[in-house]
Amino acid sequence: MSSGDIAREELKAAMARLANGDRSALEFIYNATSAKLFGICLRILGERNEAEDALQDVYVNLWRSADRYDPERASPISWLATFARNRAIDRLRTGKVQRGAVPVDEAMEITDDAPLADAMLETEQRNEKIHHCLGELEERQQDAIRTAFFNGATYAELAETRDVPLGTMKSWVRRGLAKLKRCLEI
Amino acid sequence: MSAPELTEKERLAAEHALRLLEGEELLQARGLMANDPEFAAEVAQWEDKLSHLQVAQPPIAPGPELWARIESEIAGNRSADNDNVVSLQKSVRNWQFASIFSAAAAIALAFFAFPAMFGPGEQPATPDAPLMANIPIADTPLRLAVTYLPEREEILVSASGLTADGVHDHELWLVADDGAKSLGVVVPGEERRVAIDPTLASLITDGSQMVLTREPLGGAPKGGEAGPVVAQGQFTQI
Repeated sequence: MSSGDIAREELKAAMARLANGDRSALEFIYNATSAKLFGICLRILGERNEAEDALQDVYVNLWRSADRYDPERASPISWLATFARNRAIDRLRTGKVQRGAVPVDEAMEITDDAPLADAMLETEQRNEKIHHCLGELEERQQDAIRTAFFNGATYAELAETRDVPLGTMKSWVRRGLAKLKRCLEI
Repeated sequence: MSAPELTEKERLAAEHALRLLEGEELLQARGLMANDPEFAAEVAQWEDKLSHLQVAQPPIAPGPELWARIESEIAGNRSADNDNVVSLQKSVRNWQFASIFSAAAAIALAFFAFPAMFGPGEQPATPDAPLMANIPIADTPLRLAVTYLPEREEILVSASGLTADGVHDHELWLVADDGAKSLGVVVPGEERRVAIDPTLASLITDGSQMVLTREPLGGAPKGGEAGPVVAQGQFTQI
């Protein structure tokens, strides 16, 4: 077993203990994953205070509905990353957040104290098909899908920042998604 | 390389997983998430595959105090608070039961109770037990339940039976000597916990009046007039 496999099993076990109401499991999960999930939230929200509020929301909700995670269907880190991304985007779209109030680069202090999440990502994500499949798309399709994914941009925002009509942006993304779907075998 | 066109549902699943949708299509996708397990499973597949892109996302440490904030939010809702809420719910049930008795009885009770509480020159004391108000909404069988927790300086507003009309919001006000003080916009269908600042909290006593007004979405405009009063009620010690 690689360190990544061990990390994943430990995190899975902690998620199971969490579902049984074990509060120490939440602390373990927080220590293992908060830097990764904070990176995700900060990229979307662009501002540390908002990203911290979003992260608080993520772990409090995780605690209250730990049974929503199904270990048969997704790896814990993938599931948590999706959960954090969706909560951050919901917060962004409620319209309260002034997008990019602080440039993300300035707010970033890259940390190296998250060995567990990193080890997990190393083994389970680096070699995933998505990287290959996304690389097969036209440059502009890739760019739009990556920006939507990492920054939480909508079609309208993508069209505006890339300075193309909304219909053009939609057709780039939709053609890209059709190819991705086939490549990923979804 | 050309790819076959996606069906509309396949396209919506991919777009919803990326959170690209807005407006009508977002509502459509949410409806499918709730009612179409196949659609929900496809969205989950997309989310899972896409999440592997996060390997490129550098980890960034949140502020060191964040864990304490999370712990205290959870602790507040798990132990003491939960017990508190459970016992409150019991009291509320009893209180609602009691309120079925005639208004005459309540008035008699008020006459009996008030002279003792507001003797000459006496100020009503700051309460140390929760206060409750049960505000009937005009022309409907619905009630807005408001509970004040003095220890925490918080109010719980339960509007679980209410639905939003998309055009109006309702705002709750505490009636004070120098005018109405906002207790915030009521969120239909939800139980909301609102922290009250100490100055405002000090005004809340047994017998304090509240009114509910109809406002444009977002609540009464700052510095403007409040909308029409649609309901009123008062806090009572439980």
